[in-house]
Amino acid sequence: MTGLGLVTPIGAGREAVWEGLLAGRSGFAPVESFDTRAFNVHLGAEVRDFRAEPFVRRLDPGALGRASQLAIAAARMALADAGLALSALVPERAGVVMGTTSGEPREVERFDDRFLAGELDRVGAEFISLYPCHMIAAHVARELGFAGPNAMFPTACAAGNYAIAHAVDVLRAGRADLMLAGGADAFSRITYTGFARLGAIAPERCQPFDRNRKGMIPGEGAAVLVLEPLAAAVARGARIYAELAGYGLSCDAHHMTAAHPEGDGAARAMQRALADAGASPEEVSYISAHGTGTPTNDRLETLAVKRVFGEAASRTPMSSIKSMIGHTMGAASAIEAAVCALAVAEDRIPPTMNLEEPEDDLDYVPNTARNTQVRLAMNNAYAFGGNNASVILRKCEV
Amino acid sequence: MRRRVVVTGAGVISPLADSPAGLHAALCAGRSAIKPIELFATEGIGCRQAGEIRPFEPRDYLGERNLRPIDRTSRLLLIAAQGALAASGWTPELRARCEVGLALGTTFCSVRTIAEFDRRGLQLGPAHASPLDFANSVINAAAGQTAIWHNLRGVNSTISAGEASGIQAMAYAADLIRGGRAEALLAGGVEELCFESFLGYYRAGRLCGSPAGGEEFAIPFDARRNGFALAEGAALLMLEDEEAAAARGVAVAAEVLGYSSVFAASLEEAEAIAAVARAVRLALEDAGVGPEEIDALSASASGSVAVDRWEALGVAAAFGSRAAELPVTAVKSMLGEAMGASGALQAVALLGTLDDGALPGIRGLESFEEDFPLSGAVAETRHVSVRRALLTAVGADGHCCALVLGEPAMAGGPA
Repeated sequence: MTGLGLVTPIGAGREAVWEGLLAGRSGFAPVESFDTRAFNVHLGAEVRDFRAEPFVRRLDPGALGRASQLAIAAARMALADAGLALSALVPERAGVVMGTTSGEPREVERFDDRFLAGELDRVGAEFISLYPCHMIAAHVARELGFAGPNAMFPTACAAGNYAIAHAVDVLRAGRADLMLAGGADAFSRITYTGFARLGAIAPERCQPFDRNRKGMIPGEGAAVLVLEPLAAAVARGARIYAELAGYGLSCDAHHMTAAHPEGDGAARAMQRALADAGASPEEVSYISAHGTGTPTNDRLETLAVKRVFGEAASRTPMSSIKSMIGHTMGAASAIEAAVCALAVAEDRIPPTMNLEEPEDDLDYVPNTARNTQVRLAMNNAYAFGGNNASVILRKCEV
Repeated sequence: MRRRVVVTGAGVISPLADSPAGLHAALCAGRSAIKPIELFATEGIGCRQAGEIRPFEPRDYLGERNLRPIDRTSRLLLIAAQGALAASGWTPELRARCEVGLALGTTFCSVRTIAEFDRRGLQLGPAHASPLDFANSVINAAAGQTAIWHNLRGVNSTISAGEASGIQAMAYAADLIRGGRAEALLAGGVEELCFESFLGYYRAGRLCGSPAGGEEFAIPFDARRNGFALAEGAALLMLEDEEAAAARGVAVAAEVLGYSSVFAASLEEAEAIAAVARAVRLALEDAGVGPEEIDALSASASGSVAVDRWEALGVAAAFGSRAAELPVTAVKSMLGEAMGASGALQAVALLGTLDDGALPGIRGLESFEEDFPLSGAVAETRHVSVRRALLTAVGADGHCCALVLGEPAMAGGPA
């Protein structure tokens, strides 16, 4: 992994986001995207002051959905961060794979507004040219002229990890020389309504792994990673953040919205990722938790980590950046993978903020960033549908 | 030596038939599923036809288990999965012991469920939004519901790549098996017919009749074509590691020999044609075969004015002199364009052709554009000796996938 681009509720770009996370900055504010007066919660983690124009150069920014705009911004930043000029790439050997929960939800919301207003005659060609989620990866590729493998993984809140995992396999199979992989989601009325209805949104703050946690805070954002074969990265003298050492996927096959009561699928995904990376639990220096802040997720996640890590569990730092940037849905695990890479590259671990009374005895890195050697980081993500995905990043020793 | 990937069974529900054998027979008999829509009102829309599954009685397949939390998309997928699991001998006992995965292509999952959830929240207030609908509002809902229903604990991935989603999902699953990451996955696609997507495609000018509001000609490759007929369905193939399948002692229906996934970074005709040609070349290369070793093509063509042309010229560019004699079918002439399910429907239909050599004709095909290069595209069903066939999937947004299926007799030989 040689480059990363980030657009998050606490800022855009590697430095702003990384410094913000290490300093424990919060990205929560009253929702502005839509009127929340009918809700009993009002906080969100929106990306403010985002302008697509500096990033969307070839396409018309006004003719793109918001998630596509965020994704293109992250992709442009990632390529620049990797020191790659488009002119140096073979378009047919460069691909894009992205994850998302909702695609471009605002387009279907606009459709619904028109439906209820009796104005369906105003639905135009843009609904189909913007809404289907595959348009996010398609728009990134069109903007950059990438003609290699192109796919979208709408695997909900674990989608970024699914996309990264697939990109790794595409590269390993020799089907591309360079892959952009990540996730993007736009703040959505539909998502907010759903989580509010489930009672899963926290009223004031997000407190993963705290005994008194009250839920998650929905957010939006995008992250894109630049992945290329190690030999190519070395040959061009690229700065290498980390090696994508392995991944593991599994399905709970248990419940659509609740995790398996014994953390079964989550544990299998972690075990598979460790096996793929050829690593033991003792070698893991940092776990980036899914850590949404909902009562159920965090309890079962702790349980699953204990199952897999055994005695090593309490010695392994595990934090949730969702305590700061909220739950950015399909972008979340991509942002967290970028954070794992930064942790590996810089030997620093971002904290779990707002943690006052830890629910369990794991090392949740409470409230203060930590300087410690990070050789191997595990990025965990869980989703509706029982979709689990763990990705492992390792310090690259060339 | 890389692991070989075989097909050990398939399941399907479509507007024409609810079994692979039934689908093959209906296609070879030239039956069309394209009929006036009854599922929702089409007033004010200049296209009235689609491939609708009607009557659709999910209980006939799924019995008495509670279907209330399961929407139309997921019901379709549950049925296709049930068929594929039964055909491949993956009993409930076996699934309890071993992980089976699912790689699903879809465009929308259910945009109807998503929109209805949103509208209910708007009309009655967020406190009255339906938690059941919310669970189904994620695009991976059908894959998740199917995993729960059929106890599929392996990799569970939902993939969207437009009309190429189904083949993309099969290629993804095959790569997981080749890479030793999985031994058995259901792979294919699903899409439901609904008002939201139908109106959307109509306004986008993609449905037959909708560009001019005139007569509907959803005839692939025909010079009169003016868009596709939207359709629904679900199709899944059980893909397995060849050695694992042999160890289970199950019959093999076909082998997945190679595949590709590329993108047309611009929709200018030359670039789109080049992308199709590239997809075909890469799939043949991946399969280790030349154009002369492909005995038939199951094309993606749907009646789309632009996309059918990209495909014909792109395939021809990749096949060279072989293009003029290559037998070609386009099952969307009878099934319609089922988006994420389309490639998987093509694949299931092709299993029948690999089995008995009957290649369905392209229903209604009469006239070609002057430079149409695929002379083997004909209206009549014919018999062809098919050892290897190519599937193509070309999306209007630029996604191009191709996949080579081979007859099972080749399994067990040198890779």
